[in-house]
Amino acid sequence: MNPRKLLRIARWEITKNAGGVDRRTVVVGALALLAVGVAAPYAATSGVTVDSGIYRAGVTNSSDYYPVVAEDPTFAVREPSAALGQDIDLRFDGLAIDGAPTSKAAAAQTELRSSVRAYNNRQMRQEENQSAAFPVQVSLGYAERTQVREVISTSAGQDSTGGEGSANGTQGGGNGTDGEPTARNGTDGTVSGGGGENIGDAASSAGGVGGIAGRLAGGNASGTPADISPPFPFQSLVLAFLFVLPLNFIIQAYGSTMLSERLKRRGELLLVAPVSRFDIIGGKTLPYLSAAVGIAAVIAAALELPAVDPVSVGISVLAVTPIALLFLGATFVGAMFARSFKELTFVTVTVTVSLTTYAFVPAIFTDAGAIALISPLTIIVRNLQGQAIGLGEIAFSLVPPLLTAGVLFTLGAGIYREEDMFTQRSIPLKTLDALAARVRGKWTVGLTTALLIPFVLVAELLGVAVLYMLTLVFPIEISVPMVLVVVVVIEEAAKSLHVYAGYTHRRFGSGLRPALVIGTFSGLGFFLAEKLSLIIQLVGLPQQLPSSQALFATGTGLPTIPLAIGLLLAPLALHVVTAAISAVGASRNKRAYATALVVAMAIHFVYNYAVVSISGLI
Amino acid sequence: MIEVRDLRKEYGGFTAVEGSTFSVDAGEVYGIIGPNGAGKTTTLKMLAGLLEPTAGDVSVAGHDAGTNEMRRRLGFLPEESPLYEEMTPLSYLGFFADLYDVDDGVADRRIHDTLDELDLEHRERQLGDMSKGMKRKVAIARSLINDPDVLVYDEPASGLDPLTTNYVIDFTSSLAEQGKTIVFSAHNLYHVESICDRIAIMNEGRVVAQGPLEDLQAKHGETEYHVFTTVELPGSVQENGRYRTVVDSMDGVEGVRTDAQNAEGSVVDIRTEESSLEEVFLDLAESGAKT
Repeated sequence: MNPRKLLRIARWEITKNAGGVDRRTVVVGALALLAVGVAAPYAATSGVTVDSGIYRAGVTNSSDYYPVVAEDPTFAVREPSAALGQDIDLRFDGLAIDGAPTSKAAAAQTELRSSVRAYNNRQMRQEENQSAAFPVQVSLGYAERTQVREVISTSAGQDSTGGEGSANGTQGGGNGTDGEPTARNGTDGTVSGGGGENIGDAASSAGGVGGIAGRLAGGNASGTPADISPPFPFQSLVLAFLFVLPLNFIIQAYGSTMLSERLKRRGELLLVAPVSRFDIIGGKTLPYLSAAVGIAAVIAAALELPAVDPVSVGISVLAVTPIALLFLGATFVGAMFARSFKELTFVTVTVTVSLTTYAFVPAIFTDAGAIALISPLTIIVRNLQGQAIGLGEIAFSLVPPLLTAGVLFTLGAGIYREEDMFTQRSIPLKTLDALAARVRGKWTVGLTTALLIPFVLVAELLGVAVLYMLTLVFPIEISVPMVLVVVVVIEEAAKSLHVYAGYTHRRFGSGLRPALVIGTFSGLGFFLAEKLSLIIQLVGLPQQLPSSQALFATGTGLPTIPLAIGLLLAPLALHVVTAAISAVGASRNKRAYATALVVAMAIHFVYNYAVVSISGLI
Repeated sequence: MIEVRDLRKEYGGFTAVEGSTFSVDAGEVYGIIGPNGAGKTTTLKMLAGLLEPTAGDVSVAGHDAGTNEMRRRLGFLPEESPLYEEMTPLSYLGFFADLYDVDDGVADRRIHDTLDELDLEHRERQLGDMSKGMKRKVAIARSLINDPDVLVYDEPASGLDPLTTNYVIDFTSSLAEQGKTIVFSAHNLYHVESICDRIAIMNEGRVVAQGPLEDLQAKHGETEYHVFTTVELPGSVQENGRYRTVVDSMDGVEGVRTDAQNAEGSVVDIRTEESSLEEVFLDLAESGAKT
């Protein structure tokens, strides 16, 4: 890779459309973008006051109501001598209030009652003796329901026990007694009732007070204990949305520019020039990555105005980079496979929906546990909410998408060549081309298998999630084997597909021995990567992930050495043997590969079934 | 300058090029002709390093095809002109000059000189607003931006009007006179005949014949002898007071001479007519002959 040429291509990618847009438009557009970038976060967090000054109150400075009215932006202060009903809606005379005989004045009086309550609460919170100010305090804690099915069945016929859990006032950081707005801690699941109205929208939704957060959470105004819902993490939602939204626009432009290289063979001459395909791809991607990161930095900085913390902004940028690369990588591969803009639309929509879901949902529920860290946006949200983030958590959150993006770009680069870019080659053939481009020998086969592990894990997760409902329908003796079949199919395909692709492209020598070597390395690569990913999970998040808890909760301590060796060697032998069988088939022809793959899957299934049976799951 | 040995290219189960072997000397103009689907474009793309051969070797100026060293020595002109239509000729050529590591000053001079030679005006106009002929000239200028030793041109005059076609062919011919090694394909056999030193005829992925035009005609064409006599002979046709008899061998000529003497006449002129390249091409394409 040549950095100078990569940057030259990046500059060209930015400027090649300059001829179609005059400078004035560029300047206006840039200013508009900047304004939106600065204003949007502010508006999202502070809200837009559309009802400012709609009620006119005639009140003097000496009136007890003056601070109430002056501090409420919905009121505009006027002279009390003004004409009631024409120039003012309310007139304050001592403690007496005269309202004009209009519906607007009636609404102003309602608003005034709210303003007085809020004003009184603020005054109460300034009292030194908070116990005197708020003699009764109620703390609500929300605990995770551990037995969902039982709770559902119970709630259908009896009183709901969903909120029972363990009321835990210490969970999270919310504490109304200190009088601080707890909007930031609205996701914590703790709401204190003594703090009055100004606790914040997110928290207030728990009590069904209303507001945007309350409506989103489905809360109502009754406020009885049975109707209390957990607080909706509105702020997390807004923050995650702010960071993920620009990516959806950026990938549209990126996908378009990548596909346009393929239309009318425009990119053909770049392939003839003395630059590598990685220079081309890197150069064309860099502007869009920079835009994504730059926008994230602007948003992060805007959210912290007026006191911008560079470290905090840096963390946001650091976290958004892998997710941006993942969006771009998926779009790049899609653009390489798409045969028209119509297909590209399908690709970008798929990428947008799937990756936004992946990035967005965990970041909303940042306190759902360590699992929320699968999205890098969780790091951003937690950072902006002032929560501490460990290096292990950052690595756990950022490395998988970074690695996945790398694999996607590598696969896409495999088909960034003449015969795949400019011909209507079928998707299966392009897939084989993409995989074959990465394999040259036994070491690259092992490496490619290892790099496919993130996809294997994601595919297995999706498969298990889809099949989970089977456990509700079928007995476990049937549903578990079905899940095992899915796992086996995914893993054996991951170990052998690129091997088959390599053979179709004559990457390996013919004969039994080379096939066995290639298969062995593929199985070895799978085994090592699988175990490495497990170790990373256990070491990075020892006390948080369910898997580690399950392991450490056995109470048996460390396994004995023979058992440990057995646990290690058995899967190694399995993966090597099955991968070798598939490789031997792949070395012959398509039919032999299909047959060998089925045999390998059968062996793998028997092994898995035996392990599950021994473990007592079925 | 160019060495091609046992070149083969497969697309899935389809073999586009099979066992092509040829070489091109420095300064030579080598034409490749053949019917549609003969493998000409695939061969040229393998020469340019765009396509990876399934088997065989290609080297250009001593470098393997596809290496950056080779790319710096080669200028490629595809059949279509895949330009970035939102760019201007100057920005487009400047960009490629950077990719080919041409110094800014040299590139600037070279761009303007080449565009002058190609008689291309409107250099600040967007390429999308240009005519096909003008775009083709820009594409040719791009192929020369690195001052390459070897030019690989695929149908350089494809789809152009006759005037522009002649201009492009003349320009290509002038490049040959400057010492460039040129490999190009064309459907118009007249162009190939007029500027090529040697010609390869491809059919169904194979080079079925190659060599100088004269050799091809001698080896694969037919020679007719038109014998003019003072007396009428069987099968002769009267032309301008003489009688023309057509035979296909020197023995036939001797036979006509004998017949004329027996009829108390004489042979007054003998002319030979050889098959054109088109006739050789058609003959080979139809027969599927193999060298």
